[in-house]
Amino acid sequence: MLDILTSFYGLIPVTIAQSLIVAFVVLGVMLPFRILNFPDLTSEGAFPLGGCVCGTLISMGVNPFLACGVALVCGFLAGCTTAFIHLRFKINTLLAGILVMTMLYSINLRIMGRTNIPLFTYDTVFTILAGPSANVPWVKILIVGALIALVVGLMLYFFMSEKGTSMRAVGASPDMAEAQGINVGIATIMGVGVASALSATGGSIMVQTQGFVDVNMGFGILINGLAALIIGEAVTGRQTILRQVMAPVVGSIVYYQLISFCLTLGLAPADLKFATGAFVLLMLALPNLRKSGSGTQIREKVRE
Amino acid sequence: MTTDMLAVTGGTKIFYRGTLDERRALDGLNIALKPADFCIVIGSNGAGKSSFLNAVSGKLPLDAGRISIDGQDVTKLNAHRRAQFIARVFQDPMIGTAPTMTIGENMLLAELRGKPRGFSYGLTTPRKARYREQLSELNLGLENRLDMPVGLLSGGQRQSLSLVMAVSTRPKLLLLDEHTAALDPRTAKLVMDTTVRAVEELKLTTLMVTHNMEHAIKYGNKIVMMDAGKVLLEIGQEEKRGITVPDLIDRFHTKSDAIALQGS
Repeated sequence: MLDILTSFYGLIPVTIAQSLIVAFVVLGVMLPFRILNFPDLTSEGAFPLGGCVCGTLISMGVNPFLACGVALVCGFLAGCTTAFIHLRFKINTLLAGILVMTMLYSINLRIMGRTNIPLFTYDTVFTILAGPSANVPWVKILIVGALIALVVGLMLYFFMSEKGTSMRAVGASPDMAEAQGINVGIATIMGVGVASALSATGGSIMVQTQGFVDVNMGFGILINGLAALIIGEAVTGRQTILRQVMAPVVGSIVYYQLISFCLTLGLAPADLKFATGAFVLLMLALPNLRKSGSGTQIREKVRE
Repeated sequence: MTTDMLAVTGGTKIFYRGTLDERRALDGLNIALKPADFCIVIGSNGAGKSSFLNAVSGKLPLDAGRISIDGQDVTKLNAHRRAQFIARVFQDPMIGTAPTMTIGENMLLAELRGKPRGFSYGLTTPRKARYREQLSELNLGLENRLDMPVGLLSGGQRQSLSLVMAVSTRPKLLLLDEHTAALDPRTAKLVMDTTVRAVEELKLTTLMVTHNMEHAIKYGNKIVMMDAGKVLLEIGQEEKRGITVPDLIDRFHTKSDAIALQGS
């Protein structure tokens, strides 16, 4: 037992670093699901898109910061596409997301030209900022943590600003938002776009820390993000916008420690996706199992 | 001659055009309201009342005809663009407010209706103070609960809040879509009293759809009875005085009589 705890303890920093990177994706899952009431699956494609664009550019000798910026813009466009497909052609949001995600797979392959690019020999954001200590987990935690703190702070401020309040209104009640003079279409497109930009940013940071790009890197990231979001909300709650914006980060950290703990306990990696899926299912089903229901869930009506 | 605050000319909306189900929701509708008119719209189900309100608000683009507000042609403007002139209270208390957002945030959304929204902080202290003052006139205690999610309020409270949100910006046009129909009689009366007080005090040009014939007679200075997407009968302030509920109901169902009356 003790050696299990020791090896779990030893993994904590690495796991925190990873969870902070995935926190971008969880923020990108939270925004459409919770703020816009727009269940969106684009993240599953935007995350590897960000990785592929960033990794390919780095391998071509482009400045890593610029590469991250380009990845972010590409992610933004992917999200806009999903929202546009839904709004213009009245296609269900989930289906629109699946369409974009599927098409992105080919795009990602085209961008890379092959399925895998190693990046070990190139400069990354981390080697530029931290030099030889770039691979120390605590250095990664510091850099990514600072970035996440910045993003969370910006989101928090935005959602309390005049524009951000109107974006939240679009999710809370589209009819009301329109009657208050809010352009529901633009707000939806921008919101889903920003969410996918966050996921793509997560992907671009991920490839720089792991030292390679793989076209299959995003597989299952959405369910991981959803699981992390649900855990985070269970910890922080959703009553205020501060709690809602903190939930993805808290959830991501807790979730990946749990996974790490399960793995050190001997859970086969092959069973991981099943366990995650079962967990998400359980959490989503729970309110329906307890008929009395919890008072906090005011709305759970989803756009079609 | 003063400009009409609202003028609809030849408003036509056809659903399922060219199919067997073709239905003329609005069929050459003509309506004009002077500033501070309080017009009650009645008519049987399917008469086109809701289509009329949706056409005015911009939710339903017209197939033909024109709509102008205070002399400005708004026919081509989207719903969110028309919101600078129009405030609306919906029948369903759940639609008119954002349930997961707080009372204060809902008031903010209404205050900025049709105005440019920036990146500056939303719920500032002076704004909160103003909202408290506006809400205190309802005597519902909402002014002390600015941070409470609207979803926790009762239907009547939400409808009252909707009303304050709608009138606080002094819109050129106020649309009330059976806004007391989903409430119990006591709450309905409370919301109706608040409505009348606000409309008269602020001299708002108002369109109110109702199925309540007593309300139709008691409130407003004009009744418009719709049928088959047209105005069947317009009753002005003078005529309205002597009219009774049975009179109105009679005219509801006997179209030919009504046309005869209109002609006289």
